[in-house]
Amino acid sequence: MEAKKVTAEAKVLLDPAASEWGQVAAETISMGGTPVAQQPSRYIRTSWSDRPIGNVRSLTVRSAHNSKEVFFLLEWSDPTKNDGYVGRDFPDGAGILFPLKGDAPLQSMGRQSQAVNAWFWRADFEDGAKNVTASGIGTVEETEKSAVAARGQWQDGTWRVVFARPLAVAEQKEQAVQLEAGQSVKVAFAIWEGSSGERAGIKSFSKTWRELTLEG
Amino acid sequence: MVISKEDLMKSERQAAMVFDLNKCIGCQTCSVACKVLWTREDGMDYQWWCTVNTQPGRGAPKDWEQMGGGYRDGVPNPGIIPTREECGGGWDFNYDEVFYGGKGRSVHLHPIGEAPTWGPNWDEDQGGGEYPNSFFFYLPRLCNHCTRPVCVEACPRNAMYKRNEDGVVLRDETRCRGYRFCLEACPYKKIYFNYAKKISQHCIFCFPRIEKGVAPACARQCPGRLVFVGFLDDVDGPIHKLVREWEVAIPLHPEYGTGPNVFYIPPLAPYRLNEDGSIDETTPRIPTEYLEKLFGPRVNKALDTLKAEMAKTKNGGKSDLMNMLIVYHWHELFGPFTKDPAELTWK
Ligand code: SF4
Ligand code: SF4
Repeated sequence: MEAKKVTAEAKVLLDPAASEWGQVAAETISMGGTPVAQQPSRYIRTSWSDRPIGNVRSLTVRSAHNSKEVFFLLEWSDPTKNDGYVGRDFPDGAGILFPLKGDAPLQSMGRQSQAVNAWFWRADFEDGAKNVTASGIGTVEETEKSAVAARGQWQDGTWRVVFARPLAVAEQKEQAVQLEAGQSVKVAFAIWEGSSGERAGIKSFSKTWRELTLEG
Repeated sequence: MVISKEDLMKSERQAAMVFDLNKCIGCQTCSVACKVLWTREDGMDYQWWCTVNTQPGRGAPKDWEQMGGGYRDGVPNPGIIPTREECGGGWDFNYDEVFYGGKGRSVHLHPIGEAPTWGPNWDEDQGGGEYPNSFFFYLPRLCNHCTRPVCVEACPRNAMYKRNEDGVVLRDETRCRGYRFCLEACPYKKIYFNYAKKISQHCIFCFPRIEKGVAPACARQCPGRLVFVGFLDDVDGPIHKLVREWEVAIPLHPEYGTGPNVFYIPPLAPYRLNEDGSIDETTPRIPTEYLEKLFGPRVNKALDTLKAEMAKTKNGGKSDLMNMLIVYHWHELFGPFTKDPAELTWK
Protein backbone atom coordinates (compact mmCIF):
# COMPACT_ATOMS: atom_id res chain seq x y z
CA MET A 1 0.00 0.00 0.00
CA GLU A 2 1.01 3.57 -0.54
CA ALA A 3 0.79 6.71 1.57
CA LYS A 4 -0.10 9.27 -1.04
CA LYS A 5 1.63 12.61 -0.96
CA VAL A 6 -0.88 15.40 -0.38
CA THR A 7 -0.77 19.07 0.51
CA ALA A 8 -3.61 19.18 3.03
CA GLU A 9 -2.77 20.10 6.60
CA ALA A 10 -3.35 17.99 9.68
CA LYS A 11 -6.31 20.02 10.86
CA VAL A 12 -8.11 19.17 7.63
CA LEU A 13 -7.17 15.51 7.36
CA LEU A 14 -7.87 14.76 11.01
CA ASP A 15 -11.54 15.09 10.16
CA PRO A 16 -12.65 11.60 9.10
CA ALA A 17 -15.32 13.18 6.87
CA ALA A 18 -12.95 15.62 5.08
CA SER A 19 -13.48 15.63 1.31
CA GLU A 20 -9.69 15.51 0.87
CA TRP A 21 -9.82 11.86 1.86
CA GLY A 22 -11.86 11.24 -1.29
CA GLN A 23 -8.72 11.74 -3.34
CA VAL A 24 -6.83 9.03 -1.53
CA ALA A 25 -7.19 5.49 -2.83
CA ALA A 26 -8.62 2.95 -0.42
CA GLU A 27 -7.35 -0.51 0.18
CA THR A 28 -9.51 -3.21 1.68
CA ILE A 29 -7.77 -5.51 4.08
CA SER A 30 -9.17 -8.82 5.14
CA MET A 31 -8.98 -9.30 8.89
CA GLY A 32 -8.98 -12.41 11.05
CA GLY A 33 -9.27 -13.24 14.74
CA THR A 34 -6.13 -13.71 16.80
CA PRO A 35 -5.50 -17.43 17.43
CA VAL A 36 -6.93 -18.54 20.77
CA ALA A 37 -3.96 -20.82 21.44
CA GLN A 38 -1.74 -17.75 21.56
CA GLN A 39 -3.71 -15.94 24.22
CA PRO A 40 -1.48 -15.26 27.17
CA SER A 41 -3.42 -16.85 30.02
CA ARG A 42 -4.92 -20.28 30.52
CA TYR A 43 -8.17 -18.69 31.64
CA ILE A 44 -8.46 -16.73 28.39
CA ARG A 45 -7.56 -19.75 26.29
CA THR A 46 -10.27 -21.87 27.86
CA SER A 47 -12.96 -19.24 28.13
CA TRP A 48 -12.54 -18.12 24.51
CA SER A 49 -12.03 -21.58 23.01
CA ASP A 50 -15.55 -21.64 21.59
CA ARG A 51 -16.26 -17.94 21.31
CA PRO A 52 -15.74 -16.16 17.99
CA ILE A 53 -12.69 -13.90 18.03
CA GLY A 54 -12.27 -11.10 15.53
CA ASN A 55 -15.73 -9.84 14.76
CA VAL A 56 -14.56 -7.27 12.24
CA ARG A 57 -13.55 -9.13 9.10
CA SER A 58 -12.83 -6.31 6.71
CA LEU A 59 -11.03 -3.00 7.11
CA THR A 60 -10.64 -0.16 4.63
CA VAL A 61 -7.44 1.84 4.93
CA ARG A 62 -6.40 5.09 3.30
CA SER A 63 -2.99 6.54 3.92
CA ALA A 64 -1.41 9.89 3.08
CA HIS A 65 1.44 12.18 4.12
CA ASN A 66 2.17 15.87 3.60
CA SER A 67 5.96 15.66 4.06
CA LYS A 68 5.54 16.58 7.73
CA GLU A 69 2.90 14.20 9.01
CA VAL A 70 1.54 10.82 8.08
CA PHE A 71 -2.19 10.02 8.18
CA PHE A 72 -4.30 6.89 8.16
CA LEU A 73 -8.05 6.73 7.76
CA LEU A 74 -9.43 3.42 9.01
CA GLU A 75 -12.99 2.51 8.19
CA TRP A 76 -14.93 -0.55 9.26
CA SER A 77 -18.49 -1.52 9.80
CA ASP A 78 -19.70 -2.04 13.35
CA PRO A 79 -23.42 -1.91 14.06
CA THR A 80 -22.85 -1.16 17.77
CA LYS A 81 -21.10 1.97 18.89
CA ASN A 82 -19.24 1.25 22.12
CA ASP A 83 -17.54 4.32 23.46
CA GLY A 84 -17.31 3.38 27.12
CA TYR A 85 -17.55 0.61 29.68
CA VAL A 86 -21.27 -0.08 29.73
CA GLY A 87 -22.53 -3.31 31.24
CA ARG A 88 -20.21 -6.11 30.22
CA ASP A 89 -19.09 -4.29 27.06
CA PHE A 90 -15.77 -2.71 26.26
CA PRO A 91 -15.03 0.37 24.18
CA ASP A 92 -14.27 -0.23 20.49
CA GLY A 93 -10.69 0.34 19.46
CA ALA A 94 -8.20 0.38 16.62
CA GLY A 95 -4.47 0.01 16.37
CA ILE A 96 -1.72 0.47 13.79
CA LEU A 97 1.41 -1.55 14.27
CA PHE A 98 4.99 -1.12 13.05
CA PRO A 99 8.06 -3.20 13.77
CA LEU A 100 10.69 -1.20 15.63
CA LYS A 101 13.36 -3.65 14.60
CA GLY A 102 13.75 -5.81 11.52
CA ASP A 103 11.73 -8.98 11.68
CA ALA A 104 9.62 -8.42 14.77
CA PRO A 105 6.87 -11.04 14.59
CA LEU A 106 3.34 -9.71 14.22
CA GLN A 107 1.25 -12.46 15.84
CA SER A 108 3.07 -12.22 19.14
CA MET A 109 3.30 -8.42 19.14
CA GLY A 110 7.08 -8.55 18.74
CA ARG A 111 9.46 -10.46 20.92
CA GLN A 112 12.25 -9.69 23.30
CA SER A 113 14.88 -7.53 21.54
CA GLN A 114 12.47 -7.09 18.61
CA ALA A 115 9.87 -4.68 19.81
CA VAL A 116 6.89 -3.33 17.93
CA ASN A 117 5.36 0.13 18.08
CA ALA A 118 1.61 0.58 18.05
CA TRP A 119 -0.63 3.58 17.78
CA PHE A 120 -3.69 2.82 19.80
CA TRP A 121 -7.03 4.60 19.65
CA ARG A 122 -10.00 3.69 21.81
CA ALA A 123 -13.48 5.14 21.54
CA ASP A 124 -13.43 6.30 25.18
CA PHE A 125 -10.17 8.24 24.94
CA GLU A 126 -10.84 11.91 25.52
CA ASP A 127 -8.46 12.97 22.84
CA GLY A 128 -5.66 11.52 20.79
CA ALA A 129 -4.20 8.09 20.82
CA LYS A 130 -1.60 6.28 22.87
CA ASN A 131 1.83 5.39 21.66
CA VAL A 132 2.71 1.93 22.94
CA THR A 133 5.52 -0.53 22.56
CA ALA A 134 5.44 -4.28 23.05
CA SER A 135 7.96 -7.07 22.91
CA GLY A 136 5.70 -10.08 23.19
CA ILE A 137 2.12 -10.85 24.14
CA GLY A 138 0.99 -9.20 27.36
CA THR A 139 3.89 -6.74 27.43
CA VAL A 140 2.24 -3.61 26.02
CA GLU A 141 3.60 -0.48 27.67
CA GLU A 142 2.39 3.03 27.04
CA THR A 143 5.13 5.56 26.50
CA GLU A 144 4.91 8.68 28.56
CA LYS A 145 4.68 10.93 25.53
CA SER A 146 2.55 10.28 22.48
CA ALA A 147 2.89 12.22 19.25
CA VAL A 148 -0.08 10.35 17.82
CA ALA A 149 -3.31 12.23 17.29
CA ALA A 150 -6.55 10.46 16.45
CA ARG A 151 -10.16 11.26 15.88
CA GLY A 152 -13.00 8.81 15.57
CA GLN A 153 -16.52 9.16 14.26
CA TRP A 154 -19.27 6.59 14.29
CA GLN A 155 -22.15 7.02 11.91
CA ASP A 156 -24.79 4.64 10.58
CA GLY A 157 -22.92 1.53 11.59
CA THR A 158 -19.48 2.62 10.43
CA TRP A 159 -16.45 3.72 12.40
CA ARG A 160 -14.13 6.17 10.69
CA VAL A 161 -10.95 6.84 12.61
CA VAL A 162 -8.08 9.05 11.52
CA PHE A 163 -4.60 8.67 12.99
CA ALA A 164 -1.99 11.38 12.47
CA ARG A 165 1.61 11.61 13.55
CA PRO A 166 4.71 13.59 12.58
CA LEU A 167 6.87 11.49 10.26
CA ALA A 168 9.81 11.81 12.62
CA VAL A 169 9.46 11.89 16.39
CA ALA A 170 12.12 13.60 18.46
CA GLU A 171 11.09 12.65 21.97
CA GLN A 172 11.36 9.04 23.13
CA LYS A 173 12.76 8.18 19.73
CA GLU A 174 13.45 4.56 20.51
CA GLN A 175 9.81 3.92 21.27
CA ALA A 176 8.36 5.35 18.08
CA VAL A 177 8.77 4.26 14.49
CA GLN A 178 10.63 6.88 12.45
CA LEU A 179 9.26 7.57 8.99
CA GLU A 180 10.32 9.59 5.96
CA ALA A 181 9.00 10.26 2.49
CA GLY A 182 10.18 7.76 -0.09
CA GLN A 183 10.67 5.05 2.52
CA SER A 184 8.95 1.69 2.85
CA VAL A 185 7.90 0.27 6.20
CA LYS A 186 5.95 -2.72 7.39
CA VAL A 187 2.56 -2.05 8.87
CA ALA A 188 -0.33 -4.02 10.35
CA PHE A 189 -3.77 -3.20 11.74
CA ALA A 190 -6.00 -4.36 14.59
CA ILE A 191 -9.64 -3.71 15.49
CA TRP A 192 -11.47 -4.42 18.72
CA GLU A 193 -15.27 -4.83 18.74
CA GLY A 194 -16.23 -3.94 22.27
CA SER A 195 -19.74 -5.36 22.48
CA SER A 196 -18.30 -8.80 21.68
CA GLY A 197 -16.00 -8.52 24.67
CA GLU A 198 -12.98 -7.82 22.48
CA ARG A 199 -10.09 -6.26 24.35
CA ALA A 200 -6.42 -7.02 24.94
CA GLY A 201 -5.30 -9.85 22.65
CA ILE A 202 -8.91 -10.68 21.73
CA LYS A 203 -9.24 -8.71 18.49
CA SER A 204 -9.16 -8.96 14.73
CA PHE A 205 -5.89 -8.22 12.99
CA SER A 206 -4.53 -8.00 9.47
CA LYS A 207 -2.76 -11.37 9.79
CA THR A 208 0.47 -10.35 8.01
CA TRP A 209 2.71 -7.34 7.78
CA ARG A 210 2.04 -5.21 4.71
CA GLU A 211 4.51 -3.03 2.91
CA LEU A 212 3.67 0.66 3.11
CA THR A 213 5.52 3.05 0.81
CA LEU A 214 5.44 6.74 1.59
CA GLU A 215 5.29 8.47 -1.78
CA GLY A 216 8.54 10.44 -2.36
CA MET B 1 12.68 -12.53 32.63
CA VAL B 2 9.66 -14.74 32.11
CA ILE B 3 7.34 -14.77 35.11
CA SER B 4 5.29 -17.92 35.54
CA LYS B 5 1.80 -18.00 36.98
CA GLU B 6 3.12 -20.54 39.46
CA ASP B 7 5.53 -17.95 40.82
CA LEU B 8 2.80 -15.35 41.04
CA MET B 9 0.43 -17.72 42.82
CA LYS B 10 2.69 -19.12 45.52
CA SER B 11 3.36 -17.78 48.98
CA GLU B 12 5.33 -18.94 51.97
CA ARG B 13 2.65 -18.17 54.53
CA GLN B 14 -1.06 -17.55 54.36
CA ALA B 15 -3.03 -15.00 56.32
CA ALA B 16 -6.63 -16.03 56.81
CA MET B 17 -9.91 -15.09 58.46
CA VAL B 18 -12.69 -16.99 60.16
CA PHE B 19 -16.18 -15.47 60.43
CA ASP B 20 -18.42 -17.04 63.07
CA LEU B 21 -21.81 -16.79 61.38
CA ASN B 22 -23.61 -17.65 64.59
CA LYS B 23 -22.66 -14.26 65.95
CA CYS B 24 -23.13 -12.01 62.95
CA ILE B 25 -25.94 -9.50 63.48
CA GLY B 26 -25.86 -8.07 59.97
CA CYS B 27 -25.02 -4.59 61.18
CA GLN B 28 -22.80 -3.81 58.15
CA THR B 29 -20.15 -2.19 60.34
CA CYS B 30 -17.54 -4.29 58.53
CA SER B 31 -18.80 -3.12 55.13
CA VAL B 32 -18.76 0.49 56.22
CA ALA B 33 -15.39 0.25 57.99
CA CYS B 34 -13.92 -0.96 54.70
CA LYS B 35 -15.81 1.59 52.64
CA VAL B 36 -14.59 4.48 54.74
CA LEU B 37 -11.03 3.28 54.69
CA TRP B 38 -10.51 2.16 51.11
CA THR B 39 -13.23 2.93 48.61
CA ARG B 40 -13.98 6.61 48.78
CA GLU B 41 -12.06 7.77 45.75
CA ASP B 42 -13.34 8.53 42.28
CA GLY B 43 -14.76 5.53 40.48
CA MET B 44 -15.14 3.57 43.72
CA ASP B 45 -18.55 4.81 44.81
CA TYR B 46 -20.29 1.53 43.99
CA GLN B 47 -17.45 -0.67 45.28
CA TRP B 48 -18.05 -2.61 48.48
CA TRP B 49 -15.04 -4.83 49.03
CA CYS B 50 -16.85 -6.28 52.06
CA THR B 51 -20.56 -7.02 51.75
CA VAL B 52 -23.00 -8.68 54.13
CA ASN B 53 -26.00 -10.42 52.64
CA THR B 54 -28.99 -12.20 54.03
CA GLN B 55 -29.05 -15.87 53.14
CA PRO B 56 -30.93 -17.28 51.35
CA GLY B 57 -30.85 -14.38 48.94
CA ARG B 58 -29.54 -13.25 45.61
CA GLY B 59 -26.45 -11.75 47.16
CA ALA B 60 -24.03 -9.10 45.98
CA PRO B 61 -23.49 -8.71 43.11
CA LYS B 62 -26.99 -9.86 42.23
CA ASP B 63 -27.07 -13.61 41.51
CA TRP B 64 -23.28 -13.86 41.73
CA GLU B 65 -23.45 -17.62 42.25
CA GLN B 66 -24.72 -17.97 38.69
CA MET B 67 -21.86 -15.99 37.15
CA GLY B 68 -19.34 -18.78 36.64
CA GLY B 69 -15.59 -18.54 37.06
CA GLY B 70 -13.34 -20.58 39.33
CA TYR B 71 -11.95 -23.96 38.36
CA ARG B 72 -13.67 -27.09 37.19
CA ASP B 73 -11.49 -30.20 37.44
CA GLY B 74 -8.48 -27.94 37.71
CA VAL B 75 -9.31 -26.07 34.51
CA PRO B 76 -10.30 -22.38 34.65
CA ASN B 77 -14.03 -22.08 34.13
CA PRO B 78 -15.51 -19.28 32.00
CA GLY B 79 -17.33 -16.58 33.92
CA ILE B 80 -19.05 -13.29 33.33
CA ILE B 81 -18.29 -9.76 34.43
CA PRO B 82 -20.61 -8.39 37.10
CA THR B 83 -21.92 -5.00 36.04
CA ARG B 84 -22.12 -1.83 38.06
CA GLU B 85 -25.91 -2.24 38.25
CA GLU B 86 -25.65 -5.81 39.50
CA CYS B 87 -23.34 -4.57 42.24
CA GLY B 88 -26.08 -2.16 43.31
CA GLY B 89 -24.93 0.92 41.46
CA GLY B 90 -23.78 3.42 44.03
CA TRP B 91 -26.32 5.98 45.01
CA ASP B 92 -25.87 9.69 45.51
CA PHE B 93 -28.09 11.19 48.16
CA ASN B 94 -29.53 14.71 48.41
CA TYR B 95 -27.43 15.53 51.47
CA ASP B 96 -26.91 19.14 50.40
CA GLU B 97 -30.60 19.78 50.10
CA VAL B 98 -31.58 18.18 53.38
CA PHE B 99 -28.69 19.22 55.58
CA TYR B 100 -27.60 22.55 54.15
CA GLY B 101 -30.38 23.71 51.86
CA GLY B 102 -32.81 24.73 54.58
CA LYS B 103 -35.29 22.04 53.55
CA GLY B 104 -34.62 19.67 56.40
CA ARG B 105 -38.27 19.71 57.41
CA SER B 106 -39.87 19.44 53.99
CA VAL B 107 -37.61 17.11 52.03
CA HIS B 108 -36.56 13.65 53.07
CA LEU B 109 -33.27 12.00 52.31
CA HIS B 110 -33.43 9.99 49.08
CA PRO B 111 -31.17 8.84 46.29
CA ILE B 112 -30.80 11.39 43.51
CA GLY B 113 -32.03 10.45 40.06
CA GLU B 114 -33.96 7.38 39.03
CA ALA B 115 -35.16 5.24 41.90
CA PRO B 116 -32.68 2.39 42.35
CA THR B 117 -33.90 -1.14 41.68
CA TRP B 118 -31.01 -2.97 43.29
CA GLY B 119 -28.46 -2.42 46.03
CA PRO B 120 -25.69 -4.36 47.69
CA ASN B 121 -28.03 -5.60 50.43
CA TRP B 122 -31.32 -5.18 48.59
CA ASP B 123 -32.98 -8.36 49.82
CA GLU B 124 -31.89 -7.87 53.42
CA ASP B 125 -33.77 -9.87 56.03
CA GLN B 126 -36.08 -11.55 53.52
CA GLY B 127 -34.51 -14.98 53.93
CA GLY B 128 -36.37 -18.20 53.26
CA GLY B 129 -38.92 -20.64 54.66
CA GLU B 130 -42.50 -20.12 55.75
CA TYR B 131 -43.74 -18.75 59.06
CA PRO B 132 -43.33 -20.04 61.72
CA ASN B 133 -40.35 -21.82 60.22
CA SER B 134 -38.87 -18.93 58.32
CA PHE B 135 -35.12 -18.61 58.65
CA PHE B 136 -32.18 -16.52 57.60
CA PHE B 137 -28.61 -15.74 58.52
CA TYR B 138 -26.04 -13.17 57.48
CA LEU B 139 -23.05 -13.90 55.31
CA PRO B 140 -20.23 -11.34 55.23
CA ARG B 141 -18.06 -11.72 52.15
CA LEU B 142 -14.81 -10.30 50.89
CA CYS B 143 -12.02 -11.46 48.61
CA ASN B 144 -10.89 -14.86 49.86
CA HIS B 145 -7.20 -14.34 49.06
CA CYS B 146 -7.38 -17.78 47.55
CA THR B 147 -4.62 -20.39 47.52
CA ARG B 148 -5.27 -20.95 43.79
CA PRO B 149 -6.39 -17.45 42.82
CA VAL B 150 -7.94 -17.85 39.41
CA CYS B 151 -7.92 -14.06 39.09
CA VAL B 152 -4.12 -14.19 39.05
CA GLU B 153 -4.30 -17.04 36.56
CA ALA B 154 -6.58 -15.03 34.27
CA CYS B 155 -4.67 -11.76 33.98
CA PRO B 156 -2.93 -11.48 30.60
CA ARG B 157 -0.57 -8.84 31.99
CA ASN B 158 0.62 -10.65 35.10
CA ALA B 159 -0.57 -7.63 37.03
CA MET B 160 -1.92 -9.76 39.91
CA TYR B 161 0.06 -11.84 42.38
CA LYS B 162 0.10 -13.34 45.84
CA ARG B 163 2.44 -11.75 48.35
CA ASN B 164 5.08 -14.15 49.46
CA GLU B 165 4.98 -13.22 53.15
CA ASP B 166 1.22 -13.56 53.74
CA GLY B 167 -0.51 -14.79 50.59
CA VAL B 168 -2.51 -11.59 50.22
CA VAL B 169 -3.67 -11.27 46.60
CA LEU B 170 -2.76 -7.89 45.17
CA ARG B 171 -2.78 -6.10 41.86
CA ASP B 172 -0.11 -3.82 40.48
CA GLU B 173 -2.38 -1.00 39.38
CA THR B 174 0.28 0.38 37.07
CA ARG B 175 0.24 -2.89 35.10
CA CYS B 176 -3.55 -3.33 35.11
CA ARG B 177 -5.19 -2.16 31.89
CA GLY B 178 -8.76 -2.78 32.94
CA TYR B 179 -9.32 -5.86 30.79
CA ARG B 180 -11.55 -7.37 33.50
CA PHE B 181 -10.55 -10.98 32.84
CA CYS B 182 -10.06 -11.22 36.63
CA LEU B 183 -13.67 -10.11 37.17
CA GLU B 184 -14.79 -12.90 34.85
CA ALA B 185 -12.60 -15.53 36.45
CA CYS B 186 -13.21 -14.78 40.15
CA PRO B 187 -16.06 -17.12 41.13
CA TYR B 188 -16.85 -15.04 44.23
CA LYS B 189 -17.32 -11.90 42.09
CA LYS B 190 -15.30 -9.83 44.51
CA ILE B 191 -13.42 -7.66 42.02
CA TYR B 192 -14.75 -4.27 40.97
CA PHE B 193 -14.03 -2.16 37.94
CA ASN B 194 -13.06 1.42 38.66
CA TYR B 195 -14.91 3.44 36.02
CA ALA B 196 -12.81 6.55 36.61
CA LYS B 197 -9.34 4.97 36.59
CA LYS B 198 -10.36 2.20 34.18
CA ILE B 199 -8.64 -0.48 36.18
CA SER B 200 -9.90 -3.30 38.40
CA GLN B 201 -9.72 -3.22 42.20
CA HIS B 202 -10.45 -5.51 45.13
CA CYS B 203 -9.93 -6.10 48.86
CA ILE B 204 -6.28 -5.80 49.86
CA PHE B 205 -6.66 -7.53 53.25
CA CYS B 206 -5.72 -4.14 54.74
CA PHE B 207 -2.09 -5.02 54.01
CA PRO B 208 -0.70 -1.68 55.23
CA ARG B 209 -2.36 -2.41 58.59
CA ILE B 210 -1.31 -6.03 58.92
CA GLU B 211 2.27 -5.04 58.08
CA LYS B 212 2.12 -2.96 61.27
CA GLY B 213 0.39 -5.58 63.39
CA VAL B 214 -3.12 -4.12 63.08
CA ALA B 215 -6.06 -6.35 62.14
CA PRO B 216 -8.01 -5.55 58.95
CA ALA B 217 -10.71 -2.93 59.47
CA CYS B 218 -13.67 -5.28 58.90
CA ALA B 219 -12.41 -7.61 61.62
CA ARG B 220 -11.36 -5.00 64.16
CA GLN B 221 -14.50 -2.87 63.87
CA CYS B 222 -16.94 -5.77 64.11
CA PRO B 223 -19.13 -5.20 67.19
CA GLY B 224 -20.10 -8.86 67.18
CA ARG B 225 -16.45 -9.74 67.79
CA LEU B 226 -16.64 -12.69 65.51
CA VAL B 227 -13.89 -12.26 62.95
CA PHE B 228 -10.69 -14.15 63.67
CA VAL B 229 -7.52 -13.15 61.85
CA GLY B 230 -4.17 -14.87 61.76
CA PHE B 231 -1.84 -17.15 59.90
CA LEU B 232 -3.02 -20.59 58.90
CA ASP B 233 0.28 -22.18 59.92
CA ASP B 234 0.29 -20.65 63.40
CA VAL B 235 -0.54 -23.82 65.32
CA ASP B 236 -1.25 -21.90 68.52
CA GLY B 237 -3.57 -19.40 66.85
CA PRO B 238 -7.34 -19.71 66.63
CA ILE B 239 -7.38 -19.89 62.83
CA HIS B 240 -5.33 -23.06 62.74
CA LYS B 241 -7.35 -24.54 65.56
CA LEU B 242 -10.72 -23.77 64.03
CA VAL B 243 -9.83 -24.67 60.46
CA ARG B 244 -7.38 -27.53 60.80
CA GLU B 245 -7.91 -29.07 64.24
CA TRP B 246 -11.60 -28.72 65.00
CA GLU B 247 -12.56 -28.43 61.32
CA VAL B 248 -15.51 -26.27 62.23
CA ALA B 249 -14.44 -23.37 59.99
CA ILE B 250 -14.99 -24.18 56.34
CA PRO B 251 -14.78 -22.24 53.08
CA LEU B 252 -17.73 -20.95 51.09
CA HIS B 253 -18.34 -22.88 47.87
CA PRO B 254 -15.29 -25.13 48.04
CA GLU B 255 -16.38 -26.62 44.71
CA TYR B 256 -15.25 -23.39 43.00
CA GLY B 257 -11.76 -24.81 43.34
CA THR B 258 -9.81 -21.70 44.25
CA GLY B 259 -9.00 -22.64 47.85
CA PRO B 260 -10.45 -19.69 49.77
CA ASN B 261 -8.69 -18.43 52.89
CA VAL B 262 -11.75 -16.84 54.41
CA PHE B 263 -13.56 -19.51 56.43
CA TYR B 264 -16.95 -19.65 58.12
CA ILE B 265 -18.33 -21.27 61.22
CA PRO B 266 -21.67 -22.41 59.74
CA PRO B 267 -24.91 -21.25 61.33
CA LEU B 268 -26.76 -23.46 63.75
CA ALA B 269 -30.50 -23.03 63.65
CA PRO B 270 -33.36 -23.48 66.05
CA TYR B 271 -35.54 -26.53 65.53
CA ARG B 272 -38.64 -26.46 63.40
CA LEU B 273 -42.02 -25.90 64.92
CA ASN B 274 -44.85 -28.30 64.22
CA GLU B 275 -48.25 -27.00 63.29
CA ASP B 276 -49.49 -27.43 66.83
CA GLY B 277 -46.62 -25.33 68.12
CA SER B 278 -44.60 -28.24 69.48
CA ILE B 279 -40.91 -28.49 68.67
CA ASP B 280 -39.64 -30.93 66.06
CA GLU B 281 -36.20 -31.82 67.37
CA THR B 282 -35.33 -33.94 64.38
CA THR B 283 -35.24 -31.22 61.74
CA PRO B 284 -33.11 -28.07 61.69
CA ARG B 285 -34.86 -24.98 60.50
CA ILE B 286 -32.13 -24.13 57.98
CA PRO B 287 -32.37 -27.02 55.51
CA THR B 288 -29.21 -29.11 55.47
CA GLU B 289 -29.25 -29.19 51.67
CA TYR B 290 -29.11 -25.43 51.61
CA LEU B 291 -26.06 -25.31 53.86
CA GLU B 292 -24.43 -28.07 51.83
CA LYS B 293 -25.01 -26.04 48.71
CA LEU B 294 -23.14 -23.13 50.26
CA PHE B 295 -20.40 -24.86 52.21
CA GLY B 296 -20.14 -28.35 50.73
CA PRO B 297 -20.59 -31.66 52.53
CA ARG B 298 -18.10 -30.78 55.29
CA VAL B 299 -20.72 -28.52 56.80
CA ASN B 300 -22.39 -31.51 58.45
CA LYS B 301 -19.38 -32.57 60.43
CA ALA B 302 -18.74 -28.95 61.43
CA LEU B 303 -22.30 -28.57 62.71
CA ASP B 304 -22.16 -31.90 64.53
CA THR B 305 -18.97 -30.85 66.29
CA LEU B 306 -20.48 -27.50 67.26
CA LYS B 307 -23.62 -29.19 68.62
CA ALA B 308 -21.64 -31.78 70.58
CA GLU B 309 -19.40 -29.14 72.15
CA MET B 310 -22.39 -26.97 73.01
CA ALA B 311 -24.05 -29.94 74.65
CA LYS B 312 -20.92 -30.51 76.71
CA THR B 313 -21.02 -27.02 78.20
CA LYS B 314 -24.76 -27.25 78.68
CA ASN B 315 -24.18 -30.29 80.83
CA GLY B 316 -21.66 -28.45 82.95
CA GLY B 317 -18.61 -29.66 81.08
CA LYS B 318 -15.82 -27.66 79.56
CA SER B 319 -15.22 -27.07 75.88
CA ASP B 320 -12.09 -25.45 74.52
CA LEU B 321 -13.92 -24.89 71.26
CA MET B 322 -16.78 -23.03 72.91
CA ASN B 323 -14.32 -20.96 74.92
CA MET B 324 -12.55 -20.02 71.73
CA LEU B 325 -15.78 -19.07 70.00
CA ILE B 326 -17.07 -17.08 72.96
CA VAL B 327 -13.93 -14.92 72.72
CA TYR B 328 -13.57 -13.88 76.34
CA HIS B 329 -10.83 -11.46 75.44
CA TRP B 330 -11.28 -9.38 72.34
CA HIS B 331 -7.61 -9.53 71.34
CA GLU B 332 -7.77 -13.30 71.10
CA LEU B 333 -9.43 -12.77 67.75
CA PHE B 334 -6.50 -11.13 66.10
CA GLY B 335 -3.49 -13.42 66.46
CA PRO B 336 -0.40 -11.33 65.73
CA PHE B 337 -2.50 -8.32 64.69
CA THR B 338 -3.64 -6.88 68.02
CA LYS B 339 -2.12 -3.45 67.72
CA ASP B 340 -4.41 -0.42 68.11
CA PRO B 341 -4.32 1.60 64.88
CA ALA B 342 -4.58 4.80 66.93
CA GLU B 343 -1.10 4.08 68.28
CA LEU B 344 0.46 4.10 64.85
CA THR B 345 2.09 7.03 63.20
CA TRP B 346 1.78 7.01 59.44
CA LYS B 347 4.41 8.82 57.49
S1 SF4 C 1 -11.82 -14.37 45.87
FE1 SF4 C 1 -11.67 -13.91 43.70
S2 SF4 C 1 -10.40 -12.03 43.63
FE2 SF4 C 1 -10.09 -12.96 45.64
S3 SF4 C 1 -8.26 -14.27 45.38
FE3 SF4 C 1 -10.07 -15.59 45.09
S4 SF4 C 1 -10.36 -15.57 42.87
FE4 SF4 C 1 -9.04 -13.82 43.33
S1 SF4 D 1 -19.48 -6.00 61.50
FE1 SF4 D 1 -19.54 -8.09 62.31
S2 SF4 D 1 -21.63 -8.38 63.07
FE2 SF4 D 1 -21.68 -6.59 61.75
S3 SF4 D 1 -22.22 -7.42 59.73
FE3 SF4 D 1 -19.99 -7.36 59.78
S4 SF4 D 1 -19.39 -9.41 60.49
FE4 SF4 D 1 -21.60 -9.19 60.97
